[in-house]
Amino acid sequence: MTSIRSPGQIALALAIALFLGVFLIVPVATVVYVAFTEKGGGGLTLVNFLDFGRTDLFVRSFWNSVYVSAMTVVWASVLALPLAYLTTRFEFRGAMLVQTLGFLPLIMPPFVGAVAMQLLFGRNGSVNLLLDEWFDFKIGFMEGLNGVIFLQAIHYFPFILVNLSAALRNIDRSMEEAAQNLGSHGLRLFRRIALPLALPGYIAGASLVFVKVFDDVATPLLLNVKEMLAPQAYLRITSIGIDDPMGYVISVVLILVAVATMWATALVMKGKDYATTQRGGGGLARRQLKPREQVLAYAVVILILALVLAPHVGLVLLSFATVWSFSPLPDGYTLAHYTRVLGDSSVYIKNTLLYAGLAAAIDVVIGGAIAYLVLRTRLPGRQWLDWAASTALAVPGVVLGIGYLRAFYGVSLPDGTPLATLWIVIVLAIAIRRLPYALRAAYAALQQISVSLEEAAENLGATKARTVRRVVIPLMTGGLLAGFVTSFATAAVELSAVLILVQSNSDAPLAYGLYVLMQTPAGRGAGAALGVIAVLIVAICMWLSQLAVDRSQRARGMDI
Amino acid sequence: MSKPARAVGIEISGVNLSYGSTHVLKDIALSIRPGEFFAFLGPSGCGKTTLLRLIAGFAQAQTGQVLLDGQDVAPLPPWKRDVGMVFQSYALWPHMTVAKNVAFGLEERRLPRGEIDRRVAQALELVGLSAFAERRPAQLSGGQQQRVAVARTIAIEPKVLLLDEPLSNLDAKMRVSVRRELRALQQRLGLTTIFVTHDQEEANTICDRIAVMDGGKIQQVGTPMELYEHPANLFVANFLGSANILDEKSGVPIPPGKRLVFRPQHAALSAPESAALRGPVTHREFLGATVRYGVRLGESEVLIETPFQSGSELRSVGDQVGVDLPPRRMLFLPA
Amino acid sequence: MFRRSALVLGSALGLVLASGAAFAQTGKVTVVTSFSKDVTDPIKKAFEKAVPGATLEVQNRNTNAGVKFIEETKGNNQVDLFWASAPDAFEVLKGKKLLSAYKPKATGIAEKVGSYPVNDKDGFYSGFAASGYGIMWNERYVKANKLPTPKEWQDLAQAPYFDHVSISAPSRSGTTHLTIETILQGEGWDKGWRTTKDIAGNLRTVTDRSFGVPEAVNSGQVGYGIVIDFFAFSSQGAGFPVKFVYPSVTTLVPANVAVVANAPNKAGAEAFIEFLLSPTGQEVLLEPTIRRLPVRPETYAKAPADYPNPFKDKNLQGLLTFNAELSEGRTAAVDTLFDQLITFQLEPLKAVTKVLHEVDAALKKKDNAQARALAKEARDLIAAMPITEAQAASPEIKAAFTGGKEKSSRQAELEQQWAAFAKEKYAAAKAKADEALKLAR
Repeated sequence: MTSIRSPGQIALALAIALFLGVFLIVPVATVVYVAFTEKGGGGLTLVNFLDFGRTDLFVRSFWNSVYVSAMTVVWASVLALPLAYLTTRFEFRGAMLVQTLGFLPLIMPPFVGAVAMQLLFGRNGSVNLLLDEWFDFKIGFMEGLNGVIFLQAIHYFPFILVNLSAALRNIDRSMEEAAQNLGSHGLRLFRRIALPLALPGYIAGASLVFVKVFDDVATPLLLNVKEMLAPQAYLRITSIGIDDPMGYVISVVLILVAVATMWATALVMKGKDYATTQRGGGGLARRQLKPREQVLAYAVVILILALVLAPHVGLVLLSFATVWSFSPLPDGYTLAHYTRVLGDSSVYIKNTLLYAGLAAAIDVVIGGAIAYLVLRTRLPGRQWLDWAASTALAVPGVVLGIGYLRAFYGVSLPDGTPLATLWIVIVLAIAIRRLPYALRAAYAALQQISVSLEEAAENLGATKARTVRRVVIPLMTGGLLAGFVTSFATAAVELSAVLILVQSNSDAPLAYGLYVLMQTPAGRGAGAALGVIAVLIVAICMWLSQLAVDRSQRARGMDI
Repeated sequence: MSKPARAVGIEISGVNLSYGSTHVLKDIALSIRPGEFFAFLGPSGCGKTTLLRLIAGFAQAQTGQVLLDGQDVAPLPPWKRDVGMVFQSYALWPHMTVAKNVAFGLEERRLPRGEIDRRVAQALELVGLSAFAERRPAQLSGGQQQRVAVARTIAIEPKVLLLDEPLSNLDAKMRVSVRRELRALQQRLGLTTIFVTHDQEEANTICDRIAVMDGGKIQQVGTPMELYEHPANLFVANFLGSANILDEKSGVPIPPGKRLVFRPQHAALSAPESAALRGPVTHREFLGATVRYGVRLGESEVLIETPFQSGSELRSVGDQVGVDLPPRRMLFLPA
Repeated sequence: MFRRSALVLGSALGLVLASGAAFAQTGKVTVVTSFSKDVTDPIKKAFEKAVPGATLEVQNRNTNAGVKFIEETKGNNQVDLFWASAPDAFEVLKGKKLLSAYKPKATGIAEKVGSYPVNDKDGFYSGFAASGYGIMWNERYVKANKLPTPKEWQDLAQAPYFDHVSISAPSRSGTTHLTIETILQGEGWDKGWRTTKDIAGNLRTVTDRSFGVPEAVNSGQVGYGIVIDFFAFSSQGAGFPVKFVYPSVTTLVPANVAVVANAPNKAGAEAFIEFLLSPTGQEVLLEPTIRRLPVRPETYAKAPADYPNPFKDKNLQGLLTFNAELSEGRTAAVDTLFDQLITFQLEPLKAVTKVLHEVDAALKKKDNAQARALAKEARDLIAAMPITEAQAASPEIKAAFTGGKEKSSRQAELEQQWAAFAKEKYAAAKAKADEALKLAR
């Protein structure tokens, strides 16, 4: 491990600390300090936190959230593991397609996605209507906490899929061949060798899922589950007329849980130096499946994809539907919704691509830098950068939005317009919210690169900066790109949290257009059409980057 | 570790293997005897590692057969072949201790716990690493890691042992001692062993027989001495030890389409007047036990090594010398 | 629709000539609104036509976000108007001195729609339209489950409706809040809560968005929804198989508009309010995509035949005089009571309601006095309230929500007390109901 503190590193760390301070900590602090004051004035107090512990509803909500998050990780793993393993370890036609499709669930447009899911899996959704007709029973897919787990697992399993796949690709093939040679195969080989070695990636994904589910507002509220922590915070903060510190108290709890999760993750991963020295040389040998195994593998893959892509199928149906109500399929089909949105949605799409692209670029740069500082330097307090950035995961979108208004609306540009009215502020808010995704991806990628590769470069006379540029970044490309894609894709379809920052229609992203459409019954189909367009655009961008990753993989490995 | 009940032989016939348009193995036929320490020797890219992976089950040939103890292994997946392989990178699992690494194959064979513990202890003792059982691979030196990899493989008492460049990640001094250990271990176990290397000295020093490979083909199979003394072609002659290769331009009478091959120490220097071959000394190297001279013959240059005796007079660069070459040391190989 | 627009534009032109002075202001008028595009687009078009040179910049936000936005940006305000349904949102803005008073010059505006006063008594916001509350249902759902057609609020408390009804939380929807408040004022505190809880026992969901209710009814996830009329009408307009009825006692709630304090274009803002209240502006409300009830009685002459008219139709007149002051004084208490006694205790409440429905069915077949008494006890337990009407409006309770000095306990403490109260009562009621069922069978 290199231990010299170069001035460059210190400057980098300070720059990142400044960025996080100005765009995350200060805005959030201006909002959550309420949690530490008693209503109606008075000094600092912790009495609100006592109230939190004494209120049954909050305690119940807390444990509900823990249960839902943990179970979601379990089910998301069940969905992600077969896809990741089959597509990275075997000759599998369409592996790239599976990887791309497997990412799609993460791109679920807000508002309209919920309607599509209800129409498919709801109490009177397609599936249950058919079940009821044929077999006379219904399944409560969307009922209560288990309903939340079901939807969250479908929605967030790509986090595990992406991170685990990247990790599996990075394992030197001799690791598994040695095990096979010693008599191991099949599931045992996966459980005993591949999975433990891919653990950094898996845990990066799993902890992200845990925190994300813990802090998610939209899905529980869609199912009308309010007795979870994040919805409680949201409902309280956004209820008008009542100045209630408890919403902010819960926000603080959410942030603490997120930080604790990240900290625990770091603790678990400590000392697990799974860097494989052969990275860049070993390549990846894909094994052949026997015909019987192949049938089974395709069956599993298709089944999983059918399940996780069902919401998108529903979305597409909805976008072509005339009326769809209490029936397995729409009454009729039309193109009218598309013609309606094509005209005025181009500005939303342009804005979305611009905002999400810029935000993801910022995330990759900062995420990569933080990962490098934490894993490769000995700067004191470097871990704090990681933790601070990770708290963004837990900061409710509405808290960040209000914080930005508070922190930047008072700051005026020379011509008198407030700083917060510029669209770049939206980009920064998104970047902060999506930073943890890119950070975790960069972290996992860097963790798997042996330090010796960098030492070799330094030994050959490369400076630290040049080593980063010529060795570290190229080797991290896959991970960084995964981070970019994750940040970009999720930002593109879910800007609802920062909607409060949108100042005019011409600066509005897609989520705003969706929101406006989804407030009227007639807008449902048009909203779905806009959603489909959004998903398509994001999917194409993702597919292109997946292509790039695959190509770089092929160029690097696959030798004899 | 007890000796296997019976050492097994390996028969390879008619093997062809290509990756896409790259023909990696061409008509390989080979017979490895039970208990033999066998080497695949050749420059990198000659197909030796692929042949090893073929035996282990990590590569599939388009044609041909690999018989292990008379049994065709083609239908067997790697995990059912019972051939132990030590990887060039050792492939030690970083998430397991040394003991766990060694126990892995035994656990996969569902042996009783007590048996596993006994055999792990035995294997570690055999490689002299009993004290390191609870360490992680990352805490070991390169040589120790290599021994763990060997212990892990022999613990399962495989039918044959495959070693893929096992010494390449070690320093020079280590290499000599480890190869002796490997040889001693193999002798003790009586295990049929295949050793892949690009280093002829390694192959010569520890192997019973060697298959020299180049361009995906086996060039010659034989004991180190046979290969040295009777190379089948110019590649073998050149790859094992140094050889002088002359064509007709040297002024030596050579049959058409052939080359004259002889080892530097098989020729002697004499007075130019009496010799059939003669020329000027182009350079001189003192090697301790011998002195190596370069002599120009026609348009070629040959190397000649003469024993060094203290007090004897050395030739100088530019001296005209004669070269004596006993006919029985002269090999005519196809060009 | 196009014909109607043409008509509106035609009369708008005449209007400009008639009252040029009021509309002389031009420039960009920025409005924060919760109204959907369907509503804002025709009005924007008509306004820009009526006031040449003016452009209406619409920022679409939900009511809560809109209030927060205005609150957070007050130091450097860029918004001229706040335009939404929920009167309580305006009350909050008014309370925080974020509105500027404006008395519209337009004449001929009704003082009241139904029982609700149109304008803020202090002149900070003006009603420009009204909407009625009622029951909306999905015909396919009702047919498939062989359910009845409701007419009155009380119908929803009956056994067949169990688990089929949806409502939005009053703490999340100002209009639902007014509906609950109307029931409380109409029936009295205790009886009103009893009715509310009877219906609540049949609820499938309590949504956190007003639009969540029609959305669920439209897609057939719930059978019945308590909704504001235009949601139902626009759903019908979009082709959904839904029906709507105004119960004989319904609430009409106004939709409002107000000038934001320190508006950058105050004159433009006032011009917009005048336009909304003008005959032209009022007529735009009749458009099928908007379908709000104008506050100018004469406008109804131009409405289609079956258009509800709160100034003529009996059931829209309202039976009581709505006491806005009373409502305002206990808003937080009522909303929090609903959340703590119903929203967050829905499972236990439903569990006991289900048993009580079974008891009723069993008693119908074979009467049992003891079971009947037990069921009544159970119903009384459910109906019990942790605080009286007087307490709800008391300074102590009020201060718990506002942080005033008089508070006896913090909001979180109150909430916990009320939740514990409900939990205990519902559990006791469940025990009684179970016992009653055993006896009745």
